Amino acid sequence: MPHLVLDSLSADYGRDPVLSDVGLSVERGEIVSIIGPSGSGKSTLLRVLVGLLRPRAGTVAVAGTPVDYGSDAALRKVRERFAIVFQQYNLFQNMTALRNVTVAPTVVKGRPAGEVEAEARALLAKVGLSHRVEAYPDELSGGQQQRVAIARALALKPDILLLDEVTSALDPELVSEVLDTIRLLAADGMTMLIVSHEMAFVREISSKVVFMADGRVVETGPPAQIFDAPQTERCADFVRRILRH
Amino acid sequence: MGYTLQYGQVTPYLGYLAGGAWLALQIAAVAFLIGWAIGLVCASVLHYGPRPARWLVRAYVTFFLNTPLLVQIFFIYFALPDYGILIGSVEAVILGMSLNAGAYMAEIQRAGFASIRRAEIEAAETLGFSRLQQIRYVILPHIAKVLYPPLSNQYIILTMTTSVAAIFGVEELTGRAYNINAQTFRSLEIFSIAAVYYVVLTVIASAVLYAIGRFLFRIKGKVF
Repeated sequence: MPHLVLDSLSADYGRDPVLSDVGLSVERGEIVSIIGPSGSGKSTLLRVLVGLLRPRAGTVAVAGTPVDYGSDAALRKVRERFAIVFQQYNLFQNMTALRNVTVAPTVVKGRPAGEVEAEARALLAKVGLSHRVEAYPDELSGGQQQRVAIARALALKPDILLLDEVTSALDPELVSEVLDTIRLLAADGMTMLIVSHEMAFVREISSKVVFMADGRVVETGPPAQIFDAPQTERCADFVRRILRH
Repeated sequence: MGYTLQYGQVTPYLGYLAGGAWLALQIAAVAFLIGWAIGLVCASVLHYGPRPARWLVRAYVTFFLNTPLLVQIFFIYFALPDYGILIGSVEAVILGMSLNAGAYMAEIQRAGFASIRRAEIEAAETLGFSRLQQIRYVILPHIAKVLYPPLSNQYIILTMTTSVAAIFGVEELTGRAYNINAQTFRSLEIFSIAAVYYVVLTVIASAVLYAIGRFLFRIKGKVF
C-alpha cells in the first residue's frame, strides 16, 4: 500500500484556483520532488498537505487512512503526520536552537523535558550543530538556521517530511550543507516531498519527479524520464530552459 | 560674572529636594503604568478593533499627540471642576500625563502588533501549537522584545516631564527647587542640584532598564 496518496486534490485562494485535480502516490521511504515554474502550485500543494490551506475537493490518505482537514482538532492529527520546513526557516527568534527543537514536543505533546532534550541534542548533532545548541537564530548563518529548522521538524517524528524550497534563500556556499543533511535523512529512509530548484540535487536524490504547471500535475516519472526524455511538451520546454544555463 | 557660587547655603535643603525627587519618581511611575495600559487597549483596538472604535481611538491619539501636554493639564485642572469633578493638582497632572503618554504608547504598541511575524506563527501552527500556545510562546515574547526599548524611552521621558507639575503647585523636584529659590535666591546652585537629581533618577532608571532588557530580551545596546 502506498504511504501517501493524493486523489483529485483541489484548492483555491478565494476565487483563484491554485491546485486542480492533483493526484500523486508516494511509497514509504520514497523521495518525490516537485518541480515547475513559479506559480505552478508546488508550494501550495505542501501548504495544503500540512493544513495551512484547506483543500476544496479531493482526498489525502496516509497509510490508507484518509486525512481529515475539517476541524482544528483534526488538523492537530494532520500535524502529527506531516512536518514542513520553509524556505525562510521561520525559526522562533526568541528561542535558542535547542529550545526551537524541544518546544513543540514538550509544549504540544507534553512529553518530559529531559527525554525531549536528549533527543533534540541528538537531532542537532545529526544536522551538524552540536556546537551551536545554545545559539539564537540571529547568531546563526542561513544554512545553520535551516538545519535547525529541519531538526525542529523531525522532533515531532513525522511520517512524512515536506521541504519547501529549503535552499532558495541561502547563499550558494551554504546550500551544500543543507543538501547533505537531506541526503542523510534520505539514507535513513525518511519519506519526503521536496519542492526544489536545485535540479542536479533533484535528479540525484529523487525516486520520482513531479512536474507541475498552472496548478496541475503535468508529468510524473523517474528523474531520467523527466530530465532526459520528457513525455510532454510543457515539461520538455521547462527542462530545456532550466538546464540551458 | 560677579556671581560667587555658594552651595553651602543650599546644602540644608538636599533632603527636602530628595523628597521632591521621590515624588517625581512616583508620578512618573504611575503615569507610565496608566499610560501603558491605555496605550495597550488603544493599540489593540487600532490593530484588531471594528472601524467605529478605531476612529474613536484615532481621534484621541491625534488630539493628544498634537496638543501640548501643558495645555492638556491646564484643561483638566481648570475645566473639570466646572463639571463638578474636583481633583487635586497631583491627580490632574498624573491624569494629563497618563492620557498624553497613553497616546504615544498606543502608537508604539500598535507598531509592535504590526511587527508580528506571520511566518513564525505559521511555523507554530504546523507544529501543532494551539492559538493560546502561539500567543504564549511566540507572539507575546516577540512583542515584549520589540516594545521594550521604546517603552523604556517613554518612561525616561516621563520622568523629566514630571517637572511640569511645578506649575500646578505640586512639590515635586522642580517645585521644591522653585520654593528654595524663592527663599535663598541661589538660583544657579539650586537648579544645578535639581538637574543632578534628575540625572540620577534617569541614569539609575536607564541602568536598571538596560540590565532587564539585556537578561530578559537579549537586547544589546548602549545606555550611555
